[in-house]
Parts: sequence; structure tokens; C-alpha cells
Amino acid sequence: MEPVLVVLLFSTLAAFTAPLGVIPLRRRRSVPVAWIGWANALAAGFMLGSAYVIAETGLHAHPAKLAAGALLGIGYIHLTHRVSGTGDLDLNRLDGMDPLYGFRILFLSGLHGATEGVAIGVAMLHDLPFGILVALAMAVHNVPEAAVLGSVLRSAGLGAGRTAGLAVAANLGQVLLAIVSFSVVPAVPGLLPWAIGFAVGGLTYLAISELLSEAYGQAGKRTIALMTIVAIGFVVLLGGIVS
Amino acid sequence: MSGLSPVVVVFLYGLATALATGLGALPFAFVRTVSPRLLAYANAVASGLMLGASFGLVSEGADYGRVSTLAGAVLGVMFVLGAERLLGDREIEVGAARGEDARKMVLIVLVMTVHSVAEGVAIGTAFAGGATLAALITIAIAVHNVPEGLAISAVLRPRGASLAACAGWSVFSSLPQPLLAVPAYLFVEAFRSVLPYGLGFAAGAMVLMVLAELLPEAFDEGRRPVSALLVTAATVGMVLFQQYL
Repeated sequence: MEPVLVVLLFSTLAAFTAPLGVIPLRRRRSVPVAWIGWANALAAGFMLGSAYVIAETGLHAHPAKLAAGALLGIGYIHLTHRVSGTGDLDLNRLDGMDPLYGFRILFLSGLHGATEGVAIGVAMLHDLPFGILVALAMAVHNVPEAAVLGSVLRSAGLGAGRTAGLAVAANLGQVLLAIVSFSVVPAVPGLLPWAIGFAVGGLTYLAISELLSEAYGQAGKRTIALMTIVAIGFVVLLGGIVS
Repeated sequence: MSGLSPVVVVFLYGLATALATGLGALPFAFVRTVSPRLLAYANAVASGLMLGASFGLVSEGADYGRVSTLAGAVLGVMFVLGAERLLGDREIEVGAARGEDARKMVLIVLVMTVHSVAEGVAIGTAFAGGATLAALITIAIAVHNVPEGLAISAVLRPRGASLAACAGWSVFSSLPQPLLAVPAYLFVEAFRSVLPYGLGFAAGAMVLMVLAELLPEAFDEGRRPVSALLVTAATVGMVLFQQYL
């Protein structure tokens, strides 16, 4: 298969994991908060692990560009929180939330697709199997997100199916950015360390500010810590095997 | 230092790096009162520094063997869980602090001291690689110990430890470096084979300490975006700092 088709296939696959999050909602009104906490902890670990393995590929040259890229990546995610007004949102309350809040999450998720897309793109550039691992690791956080969305948007009269559809649509930006960064980064000399820094800084900030900060309130902190560290170890181990 | 035997040189270099750790307490000379919010942000900075340091340890360990590094990390995680359980059963007091605060203080000194064991081994084996690089390695490790002292002081100082105590415990936490550097230098082959386990152990212990103890508190009392920014910036900063200095 053409390398760029591999990128298309797996970044699309990663965008399409959202429906998994609404499956439990077919039988119950909302998902237990602890489940979301566990899923967020796993997702955070996968994301931090991905940040680690991506950083490892690029850490031997161009420190200034890496640092500047990382600052951009962190700044970008920070800005998306400001823009969407979700900087201080509380995901622990699932019932009685304003549907507007659900749409804000969708908007935010769409903007974050950029970071995830660049991460998938640069990982694919390093090595295709390595990129596939990162794409799959990225995909995990869509699942709890869709579960939260499903619970919140129900009050706006949206069924689980349509919520899942919206979540997938919001994630499509990541497919685009994965392909763009896969094709453009090697063509522009000196861009790779910027892209690696952007992905690593953004993913780390994303995992800590959105996933972990929520997870501690959703389940016991030791459980969260252990699930996160196991997920990190899993990605670090596989990252070594595939590359 | 040509008159000294290499063993003494290795020890002295190791000692110098340990003393450098005490410098990490310096920023706290300028902090008088500590609000719960400042405590949260100090936790956030310590978390980031420790995550960044773990990154360096794992990537160094991975050069020797990724699986053995991760196996070491599992042991490190179990070590902290065990230490938490032991400390949890006791009524401990550290100075004016007690309960949860005292537990965190003991735990950070314990975890950072244990992590220095692995670093001491790393110094010793690095010295065996080539004496010409010795001074360079020592400076590098001494410099990178300073933020580790900062991480320790960031946990101790807001909970009521004096500045001298912060510096003292920071140096204490690095004492395994000279102590372990010497045998590692002398028996380099034997130590080289356990090095990835040790590096992984240190990383596992630090990451769990961050995830289970420091980070939750950073989010409890601090504003979330600020805590998250501090953690991430400290992580990225520490990684670059260790990689290029």
C-alpha cells in the first residue's frame, strides 16, 4: 500500500472510535463517572506514552527548534481552551448539563484534532508501523469523550447515534492534518523538529490539562495513577518493538 | 587531581554533584508565606521536573535494553506503593507537619534518594567509559541535580521545612551518587548489566509519585489551566535541559 494511504487509513480509523463511547448509552441513561475516569486515565497514559516515543525519535538534534515547537504546541492547546471557554470545565457532572456545553466540547475536540493529526503524521514519517501505533494510541481518548457527549447532548434531544456521528465529524480534521504533515514536513527543510516539538508539547499538555485533571475527580487517585502508568509503559514498550 | 587515585576522584566528583542538589533550595529563600494555591503550583513544578527527569532515565535505560528498563519501572512502582502503605499505617510527624503532608515529605525524599542510586551507578559506569570525559559528565550531572533539589524543596518548603532543611535533604537525596559511583566504577561490568533495571526503577518510582501524590494535589488547590501549564512547561524544560546541558 502507498504510505500516504496507510496514513489516511489509520488516521481515519482513529477518528472513528467515537461510536464505541456511546455503546453503553444504549442501555443506560449515562455512563458511571468512574468508567469515564478509568478511560481518561488510559487515554492520558497512551497520549503521554506517544509523546515520549515521538520525542525519542527527534531528541538528538535542533534543541532550539524542538523547544520552540513545543511552546507552540502548548500555546495552541491553551488557546483552544480560551477560545472555546472550556478552560475550567467540569466533566464530573454528567446530568443536567447545558447542551451548549456539549457543543463546546465538540468544537474543542475539532481544534485538538490538529495536534493529534500532526503527531500521527510525524510518527508515520519516522516509520509506518510506529505511526500506526501512535494513531491507535491517539484514538483511545475519543471513546470517553463520546460517552460524555452522549450523556450531555441527550438533553438537546440528540440520540446516541447522531452524537457519535458529530464526534466523528469533529475528529476529521486530524485525518487532514495527519496527511498534510506527512506530505509537507519532509518537503520543507528544517520543519521536522518544529513538528515533533509541536506534537510532543501539545500531547503532553492535552493529557495533563484535560484528561488527568478530570480523571482524579472521577475515580480514586491511586487507581488513576496506576492505569495511567501502565498505559504509558505499554506504549513505550510497543514503541521500542515496532521501530 | 593527578596525585589522587581514580577512586577518590570518582568519589569527590560524585560528592560535588550531590552538593549541587542543595542549590535547588535557593529560590525558596525568597518565599515567605505559602498559600494553598502556591503549594499546588509548587507541586505542579515538582511534578513536571520529575516527569522530565524520568523521561531522561527511560531513554538512557532504553539504550541498554527497553524491556529490562520497563521491568525495573514495574519494581519502582511497586516500591512506592509499598512505601505508601507502610507510611499510611503510621502516625508520622515531620517538624510541624503531620498526616498527609508529613507522608508526602517523607515519600519525596525517599523516592528521590532511591532514584539517586541509579544515577550514581550511571556516573560510575560513565567514568569507566573514558577518564577524559569525567569532568564534563560531572558538570552535566551536577547541573541537572539542581532542578531535582528544586523538586524536593518545592514539596518540603511549602509544608513548613526550613530553608536549611530543604537544602540539607536535597543534598542527602543525592548522597547515593558518590557512594554508588565508586563501586560502579570499580565493577563496571557487573553494574552495567543492572543499570537499565536501576534507571527504570527510578523512573517508575518518580512517575508514580507524581501521578498518585503530587498531580492530584496540584489540581485540587490550583487553577487547572495554570497547574497544567506549569507541569507541562517544567516537563519540557527539564527534558531539554538534561538533553543539552
